[in-house]
Amino acid sequence: MKVLLTGASGQLARLAAIQLLAEGHDVVGMDVRRRPHPDVQAPFEYVKRYDHRTVAEVFREHRPDAMIHLGVRAGGFQAEAKSRYTQNVLGTRHLLELSVKHRLRRVIVLGTFHVYGAHPHNPTFLAEDAPLRAVQTFPELQDVVELDHTVTSFLWRHRDVPTVLLRPANMVGPHLRNQVSVLLRGPYCPRLIGFNPMMQFIHESDVVDAVVRMLDHDGCGIYNIAGEGAVPWSRAIATSGARPLPLPTWLAYPGVRVLAKLQTAFPAHLMDFFRYPVIVSDQAIRRELGWAPRVNVVDTLRSIDDIPADAGSRAAAFEGSRPLGL
Amino acid sequence: MFDWMDRIGEDVLTEDQREVLRDSVGVNSAGYDPWGFNLETAERTLRIVRPLYRDYFRVQVHDIDRVPDRRIIVVANHGGQIPIDGMLLATAFMLDLDPPRLVRGMVERWVPGLPWFSTLFTRCGQVVGDPANAEELLRRDQSLMVFPEGVKGISKSWFKRYQLQSFGTGFVRLALETKTTILPVGIVGSDDIYPAVASSRRLGRLIGAPAFPITPTWPWFGALGMVPLPVPVSLHFGEPIDFQGDPDESEKTTRERVNHVRDVVQGLVNGGLKARPELRQLDELARWGRR
Repeated sequence: MKVLLTGASGQLARLAAIQLLAEGHDVVGMDVRRRPHPDVQAPFEYVKRYDHRTVAEVFREHRPDAMIHLGVRAGGFQAEAKSRYTQNVLGTRHLLELSVKHRLRRVIVLGTFHVYGAHPHNPTFLAEDAPLRAVQTFPELQDVVELDHTVTSFLWRHRDVPTVLLRPANMVGPHLRNQVSVLLRGPYCPRLIGFNPMMQFIHESDVVDAVVRMLDHDGCGIYNIAGEGAVPWSRAIATSGARPLPLPTWLAYPGVRVLAKLQTAFPAHLMDFFRYPVIVSDQAIRRELGWAPRVNVVDTLRSIDDIPADAGSRAAAFEGSRPLGL
Repeated sequence: MFDWMDRIGEDVLTEDQREVLRDSVGVNSAGYDPWGFNLETAERTLRIVRPLYRDYFRVQVHDIDRVPDRRIIVVANHGGQIPIDGMLLATAFMLDLDPPRLVRGMVERWVPGLPWFSTLFTRCGQVVGDPANAEELLRRDQSLMVFPEGVKGISKSWFKRYQLQSFGTGFVRLALETKTTILPVGIVGSDDIYPAVASSRRLGRLIGAPAFPITPTWPWFGALGMVPLPVPVSLHFGEPIDFQGDPDESEKTTRERVNHVRDVVQGLVNGGLKARPELRQLDELARWGRR
């Protein structure tokens, strides 16, 4: 199968590409960042943004059979809200429209569990049909919630293009540079005094495994993916080798809001995830695909410091690399 | 007199008992269950609670051998302004039952917002009282502890002591749905720990709690007024009740079943009070206060 991989400059896409190539699939990478991975033997298309005209050209040229959309931008700074909305919501919309036009046999979108929101009333085990409460507490998360709704409604309207939306828990791993991995890798990790919620962590290889296995599965739907189990945030900090930085809530919230305005710390909405637990149920994917995480939670957290030699090499030598931006 | 101090350092559980508990709860590689229960923290808490249980409240258990060897929903009366009765009942399942059992209390929805307590409760196996949580726990063969009177029961004034308030119906539907045995328990002594002569909902809302009790000592004596009265507590276990039927039955039928459980619990409480003449002596005073 020829797979179009968006967000191809990311580390998760790199791991996915390597596994897809090993399983005999053809891969075409596409990203808004011009950073192809030199060790991935696949064509890479640089696009300025995921707008209809640019992406349509990539579809016409490569004629993919499937699309794995890993190009959802994370973060939640208010200042970036507009550009994130353009990429995450409008960009995804264009990609989905094109996948109908080109009659793709499989579309997989990687969302996030943040859409459920860190709400004190959350029951443990949020199934896929739980309300998406993120916008209630943090409007900054509006783009990921709307992306989620866009994919979900597409999924029902276009049953001829089998679509899957994955909502992974906190992804961590030696290659990843997302918020939570960076925090756990750093010397100090913030925690709120008096609060120590349970958190789920999933290893990067287990996410890649779930994504690649979804390619051969023919159903459509929404699936949470979580790791082996949950651990308290303080335990996660200790296991990953960081030191906790205890902050009182009255100081942490306004402080982070100010820092977030300067785009120096992490987005303010993450603070609630250090306060209330958000535990998702991944029973559906385990039951329907027989998928199960292979790395347990302790090894997952320990692994983030083993930064491998191959991560971070940014040589431009890449087969067929050329900008397509219009 | 000070032998309780020696007991703080002693182990509460044997290694075999720990193994049984870990197995029955299903903890992950880091030692936690999805709700946040952790045996090490729970045991450390038990070491502090044990002198309270044995020496301060001098808890006596009656007919604990009636606890069946399967998952149960423990249903008990609630009282005493703060859930000391819940703590003592859950402790009884750990200290006076062999092998020990973890019963998961269902806490109020505002508890996750409390710093420190939210974490302590979670580590000791308590979960937020959401129907989804209860159902998932029972599906995993865990036992629950519920107080169907809820806030009405715990924050009732001292003058209504040992008079059960109306029950919520959720626990019976849950028992029918999951085919779980109900174990009624009557708790005697708990309603006298904090004799609240009045209670203000408005003040309670101010601090984010359902009610603000006023006792002869609280809030007049500040933190000292919070010291609970050392009333001996007795726990009376009833015969297990197994309901058969359609979980989607009419509210009227469920209400009948709920009232049956309530009558059983009230019977256990009344029976327990008969054996406690020192508490019965106060009945006259409470009756006078009700008028």
